[in-house]
Amino acid sequence: MKNVLHWNPPENLQGVEVTYTVQYFIYGQKRWLNKPECKNISRTYCDLSDETSDYEHQYYAKVKAIWETNCSKWTETGRFYPFLETQIGPPEIALTTDEKSISIVLTAPDKWKSNPEDCTISMRQIYSNLKYNVSIYNIKSKRMWSQCVTNHTLVLSWLEPKTLYCVQVESFVPGPLRPAQPSQKQCISTLEDPTSALK
Amino acid sequence: EFRFGPCRVEGVALPGLWEAFRTVKDAVQVQDNNTSIRLLRCEVLQNVSDSESCHLVHDLLKFYLNTVFKHYYPKIAESNTQPSFSTLANNFVFIVSKLQSSQAGEMPPDKDRARRRFLLFKRAFKQLEIQAALTKAFGEVDILLTWMGKFYQL
Repeated sequence: MKNVLHWNPPENLQGVEVTYTVQYFIYGQKRWLNKPECKNISRTYCDLSDETSDYEHQYYAKVKAIWETNCSKWTETGRFYPFLETQIGPPEIALTTDEKSISIVLTAPDKWKSNPEDCTISMRQIYSNLKYNVSIYNIKSKRMWSQCVTNHTLVLSWLEPKTLYCVQVESFVPGPLRPAQPSQKQCISTLEDPTSALK
Repeated sequence: EFRFGPCRVEGVALPGLWEAFRTVKDAVQVQDNNTSIRLLRCEVLQNVSDSESCHLVHDLLKFYLNTVFKHYYPKIAESNTQPSFSTLANNFVFIVSKLQSSQAGEMPPDKDRARRRFLLFKRAFKQLEIQAALTKAFGEVDILLTWMGKFYQL
């Protein structure tokens, strides 16, 4: 869950050297907390992923501008709820085929890690009701259909032999609408039907 | 369908509840000035067993209907958020009615644990001035729906 705070520079201070300071707040707790790496910075973003890593909590962030001997008021975000607002990436897709069927194996995306050394957490551990929207395209007939899948395997049967099929998958969680991030299309051709060769 | 342990509730479209709350979320939460207090804390909603969940969701939704929505309604009756408010309230009424018919014969121990969780929430609510408490509770419907969503099956 990569959570980065972005802001726009003050409009009336072009050409003036401006720095910014960020603080964050955990809803239900007592004090605003500093983010040392985002104190007196000149960039207009601050990565708060580590500070907001407990996705069951809700957070606020605020930023103020400092220039010459002045400083602005704090500008504060609304209440931010990582568990609801995280965009969930697509799963990994593995396809195998025979003459008339395609087997699809889906692997849930992993939680974003700020430190590669951190242990890997599957998004399925966070969203137990994670599901997939699988779209299938028959390239020859140009026909497309979709299926909602709960577990990680899906077998498409009664397909046409020797035909190219493409698969695209999105992850989703029942609940508030989130921007979808579909996978790359992956294509595979069903094998030739040996019995048809004998005719 | 919701499956709160032995209690089943069919016919509720959770995405519809989310959409209803989404339209009022920012307007309500910005009015909550007591950000150092969270009513639906982890102790209330974390690690709730299936058999507790039926009692707890029943108590919480009844409280939301009989206290929060009832007394908050005058504030939004004339506003454009009234339809969303009604969607939430009517769905909560429907869920509570279904839960009541499911709850017959539940084992007492789960009821007590669920009751203690609910009282944590209610005590925190009562410690606030009433208008502040109503605003905060309504602003925490996303926490409530998130927890309920864990018992929701498509």
